[in-house]
Amino acid sequence: MRSSRDRILTTHAGSLSRPADLIAISRARAAGESKDDAAYARCLADAVGDVVRRQGELGIDIVDDGEFGKPMASNYDYGAWWNYAFARMAGFSAAESLPEAAHKKSSVAELALTSFANRRDWQKFGEFYQDPESSGSLAGSAARRRTRRPVCTSAITYTGHAALAADIANLKAAMATAGIEEGFMCSVGPGSFARGEDLHYKTEEEFVFASSEAMRDEYKAIVDAGLVLQIDDPSLPDNWDMINPEPPLAEFKKFERVRIEALNHALRGLPEDRIRYHICWGSWHGPHTTDIPLQDIVDLVLAVNAGAYSVEAGNVRHEHEWRVWQDVKLPDGKVLIPGVVSHATNIVEHPQVVADRIVRYAQVVGRENVIAGTDCGLGGRIHPQIAWAKLAALAEGARLATRELW
Amino acid sequence: MKRSVDRILTTHVGSLPRPEDLVELYRDNAPDEKLLPRLRSAVSDVARRQRNAGIDVVNDGEFGKAMRRSVDFGAWWSYVYDRLAGFEVREETAKKGRAAWTFGSKERREFAEFYAAEASAGQSAGQGGTSTARLYGLTCVAPVTYTGQAAIRRDIENLAAAARANGIDEPFMTAVSPATLQILPNEHYKSSEDYTWALAEAIAVEYKAIVDAGFILQIDDPALVDIYDWWYSINDDLAGYRKWAAFQVEAVNHALRGIPEDRVRFHICWGSWHGPHNGDVPLKDVVDLLLKVKAQGYSVEAGNVRHEHEWKVWKDTKLPDGKVLIPGVVSHATNVLEHPELVADRIIRFAQVVGRENVIASTDCGLGGRVHPQIAWSKLAALSEGARLASRQLWQ
Repeated sequence: MRSSRDRILTTHAGSLSRPADLIAISRARAAGESKDDAAYARCLADAVGDVVRRQGELGIDIVDDGEFGKPMASNYDYGAWWNYAFARMAGFSAAESLPEAAHKKSSVAELALTSFANRRDWQKFGEFYQDPESSGSLAGSAARRRTRRPVCTSAITYTGHAALAADIANLKAAMATAGIEEGFMCSVGPGSFARGEDLHYKTEEEFVFASSEAMRDEYKAIVDAGLVLQIDDPSLPDNWDMINPEPPLAEFKKFERVRIEALNHALRGLPEDRIRYHICWGSWHGPHTTDIPLQDIVDLVLAVNAGAYSVEAGNVRHEHEWRVWQDVKLPDGKVLIPGVVSHATNIVEHPQVVADRIVRYAQVVGRENVIAGTDCGLGGRIHPQIAWAKLAALAEGARLATRELW
Repeated sequence: MKRSVDRILTTHVGSLPRPEDLVELYRDNAPDEKLLPRLRSAVSDVARRQRNAGIDVVNDGEFGKAMRRSVDFGAWWSYVYDRLAGFEVREETAKKGRAAWTFGSKERREFAEFYAAEASAGQSAGQGGTSTARLYGLTCVAPVTYTGQAAIRRDIENLAAAARANGIDEPFMTAVSPATLQILPNEHYKSSEDYTWALAEAIAVEYKAIVDAGFILQIDDPALVDIYDWWYSINDDLAGYRKWAAFQVEAVNHALRGIPEDRVRFHICWGSWHGPHNGDVPLKDVVDLLLKVKAQGYSVEAGNVRHEHEWKVWKDTKLPDGKVLIPGVVSHATNVLEHPELVADRIIRFAQVVGRENVIASTDCGLGGRVHPQIAWSKLAALSEGARLASRQLWQ
């Protein structure tokens, strides 16, 4: 993995704004109106070519395919980063195809993840979340759409090899054309994927481990292709808010440790320095008052066998948490990728704000151990013009920080 | 003016969420016998609620400034056109909408697609707030005079009663600046300078009434910094903008003549709409002019990602002795609730540069109409919690 040897490198959390033609064709495919696979493949490859070039032009060092291979059927979509995986797994049935009575098999775990509307932050701020005029309940946001997730009804296996191969080929071709040396590809973590309903496995642990075993195919293929694998795992911090009432911290950590073990199981034998691990507290535009503090879970984060940790730090709920790293030593050889620009506001970060944030991290963990990133994917969460302006601010801020740090 | 003598005091920029029924009364143009009693009780409630939230320097939430929708970014200045004579709607200008005011904005050209979108992810651009739309096309066509004596008397009486009832001393009341009023086109006065002087003369009546009532007068002057983006940025004309701004400072000082400095605080922000704001003029380019305003307190946006770093400006520019800085440490610019530790960090940065006794912790801009009421009140609670944390560190 590249590191900030002589200047602060930049990257981002993965999702970028899809072009209109790709969204249109994805929408048509989702609605069953288009079955022209070749047209889709061409459109996708072209779009990935453009988005890789554009990242390079803006000064993003470690690029990805914008997650364009993870279909987004509308401009605003907060869920593509994990919904994509259903299409790549066997073992799931459409929720609508099952009788109501078959739903919601109780979990073996004593801690149960609740629905969006029963989240603790949602309940504290119910009027806000339900106000149609408030930006918390955006049209198109995961919070508002009432799509029901597929239910696990048989053994889970990975079937997404062709889609994944296309994603890898598109990204590598685009990088070669743009002359970019390092790219990453996102893949959902088992803890974040296995949050749906399960009617097949005996225990939740089995369900999580089966998901991890299946996803291992994807993880391995990405690493084998020479790309950096990014595991997207917002569930680690985010599950805290989904457990209502608030659980004792020790119980919560036990619950999460199973998921970290499952992830490490899926990552077995893969070189740590080709893997980065991303957490954030959920990307919806809400108050986030029930976000678990980083200091309470940082040991779990560091337990993941990854060479780099991407952590939300560029919004007002988590900006102060750079201090966590004063007390918790970042292990030698590991890299921190703090979010220094965020989807949480339309305002474009001033490059000096970005630089100040980077410098704070560099002073605590060492400049060579920091890569500047975003809080979360920008695509689908903020207007495309603002998303691109934020990446430009990120690159400019990293240049300013480099000047101060070297 | 109160100062942070033994702890960090808190205040906010003015606008607070209106109760729904008050919004409806304004929306329906309810007769005075219905509106006035409710307005009075709502002002009393909002004063008490601020005190309970731990806010030290409170106001009437700007409830006397009509808000006809719960989402409304413009009541802070649209109110005054019910209190001024000399304006009429020009249909041709009205058709241009907001573009008639932002003709020189580079940002609006660069981000045209964003601004054209009705609502962008997360945050609506907030262009369509009814009370601003009400001003589209409004043009000065005759001598400007202040006619709002009854309205300002009503607002003063309501706030005075609320303060008495809740044991609050020295509340503040907001009034708009001459520079802001200049956004509306002028057909009557020969020069823009003449127009500005007339606006200053007219609004001075309101300033005097507020100070005479024993309140702190807060002058809201986002235009002082906004106008760079709106009129001058397309040509990168910083010099032209500074000339304009320097004149506006003269005008507001003219309106403040005879008013003791320590009864006045002066608020600037770069406009509260949820846009990219990357055309905002840097504080360092205008801070010398800001400090020429004859006010004791300066309320400056500093709690959002475009201006958070500007606490450093005060390392190079000395805050004159006796003045008070009122930085925004929580903001309407995000729905995410500021962590109290972040609020404390921001306060401490300012305190270390200008001295703890010279800082009052505040908001970037009014919260009412700009974020959901539940979030607005939680932000005020985070503000006072952050001030407590900061006080503990600064007075240990």
